[in-house]
Amino acid sequence: MSKAIAAPQTTAQRLWHRYRFHLNIAMLAIPLGFMPAYFENAAMFRGTLGLGEREIGEFTVGPWSARVAEWHVGDPEAEGKAGNMKEFAVALCEACLPKVKAAYLRIGKPRNLRTAGALLSGSPYRLMAEVVVPQNTTAASDLWLTVEGWDGSVHHTAIPLANASPSLISWLERQPGARP
Amino acid sequence: MSKPMSKKNRAKTWFLVHSWLALPIWFFLLIVCVTGTLAVVSQEIVWLANPEIRASQPDDDAQPLSYGQVLAAIHKERPELAVEWLSSPEESHFALTASVSEPGGGSYRLYINPYSGAIQGVSPTFDFSAFTRALHGWWLVPFTNGYSWGWYLVSLLGLPLLVSLITGLVVYKRFWKGFFTPRLRVTQGARVFWGDFHRLSGIWSIWFIAVISITGTWFLIEALLSDFHISISTEGPPSFVARHEVPITADGLAPPRLGLDQITAIAAEKIPGLEVSFITLPEDAFSHYGIGGRGWYPLMFQTAEINPYTGAVAGANLLSNRSTLEFVTESMRPLHTGDFGGLWIKLIWAFFGLVLSMMVLSGLLIWSKRTVQATANLTRRAQRVKPQHAATIVSEGQP
Repeated sequence: MSKAIAAPQTTAQRLWHRYRFHLNIAMLAIPLGFMPAYFENAAMFRGTLGLGEREIGEFTVGPWSARVAEWHVGDPEAEGKAGNMKEFAVALCEACLPKVKAAYLRIGKPRNLRTAGALLSGSPYRLMAEVVVPQNTTAASDLWLTVEGWDGSVHHTAIPLANASPSLISWLERQPGARP
Repeated sequence: MSKPMSKKNRAKTWFLVHSWLALPIWFFLLIVCVTGTLAVVSQEIVWLANPEIRASQPDDDAQPLSYGQVLAAIHKERPELAVEWLSSPEESHFALTASVSEPGGGSYRLYINPYSGAIQGVSPTFDFSAFTRALHGWWLVPFTNGYSWGWYLVSLLGLPLLVSLITGLVVYKRFWKGFFTPRLRVTQGARVFWGDFHRLSGIWSIWFIAVISITGTWFLIEALLSDFHISISTEGPPSFVARHEVPITADGLAPPRLGLDQITAIAAEKIPGLEVSFITLPEDAFSHYGIGGRGWYPLMFQTAEINPYTGAVAGANLLSNRSTLEFVTESMRPLHTGDFGGLWIKLIWAFFGLVLSMMVLSGLLIWSKRTVQATANLTRRAQRVKPQHAATIVSEGQP
């Protein structure tokens, strides 16, 4: 820089003047920093890292069984009026696929099939659903998996939220007015 | 300044604005331009590198298989695979793509010969197209809650690009003369050459820079609308098959669904003007077949949803349903990416993308050789105003 440029008055101006071209390096560091996360995410979608970021376990639902996973570990996503959403992945046992009509996930016990919660959808080998986190969710709440058969039968299983998503529990504890 | 700026001073200011516009982030802008250029032709680059995605018509009479035949061919070769969608190539030298998943949760795409139905290959773990688009589009910053902040970072560049175009044309006096008397002096040193190059490529890229900066700015607006939950869409909420429409079976197994060829036939019969180029299979017991393709207006897609059990058309998002505003906003993306008219349009976009990248680079070279001096002079003038001095600066400031 030429010395003829007027001396900047404030520290901020001086720092800007001195380091403004370093912005280029800072900008370039962003994608480099996110590259491992990008490739990990691509691998997750490809299914090479398992069902989800954190496998919860295999659960028996009536005559069937299902593997359940937390898709991303972390806070739920705020989706405007829809509320806060947490995504889970489910893989039903291969032998039960032809017999299962639909599967649903809900935080809190569903009163009936109509309120079974979010419909699991997508590849039969990795069904996904975004589950609403209701206002009254506590650390003692359960994640309910409902499976409906083509024969009309309906089966449930409840997974303690502390097991289903410790990251959701930690988010709940950080909410204003959280109940212990 | 107490008195209004003189014409020369105003030109000088414009020139300095133009010169300084992208400078602190010139390298960021350059990489965004270069990755954008690569993204335009990324499929073609993959085509060159990977023979598995190539497919050509075996002879003039050969007809591509129907979607039903392709699905049957996949199931015959890999019965365990679940197929999510099939998409015909936009360019005839590409294979058909099928999105599939396998037991265990692996999901990827298959490249299928559209004439024989043979599975030619599996999408590689590193998806070059997706990577260049992610790098160009959102600087690899993940989408965790709404739009990624990288998306904002990149789309904000639309504004300095637009201002660069406008100020560039203001400071380049009578730029239209450059069309008739093109000048590219190669023997008078680097400064003169890069200056000529910058102006010459600039005037021939006016349309392209305008398209890219306006559509880029649209991406910023699009993200803002989405993050503030403002919708301008005329498309209704997604429809589902009603519970009573899902057949109940006696054997306790899934009821049969209509085949892909029946679905395409229903679409052809009931939705005139819909050219089918992709089909998505129901994702659960209550969802529809999705079917879609381009219509008479090449920049936009039309889609329809068809009930897998009854064949009823449950919904359609056709060109005739779109609002005028949607014609404008939905045209923005294809105008930005150049993927609406085959290979030649992509090559034109890639060429001008390269020219734009070179303009960022040549702008920097010119700046490093001259603008530092001009700015120093202007600052000196601001300190002690001397009329003759100011005039010299202005003449120096001519691009």
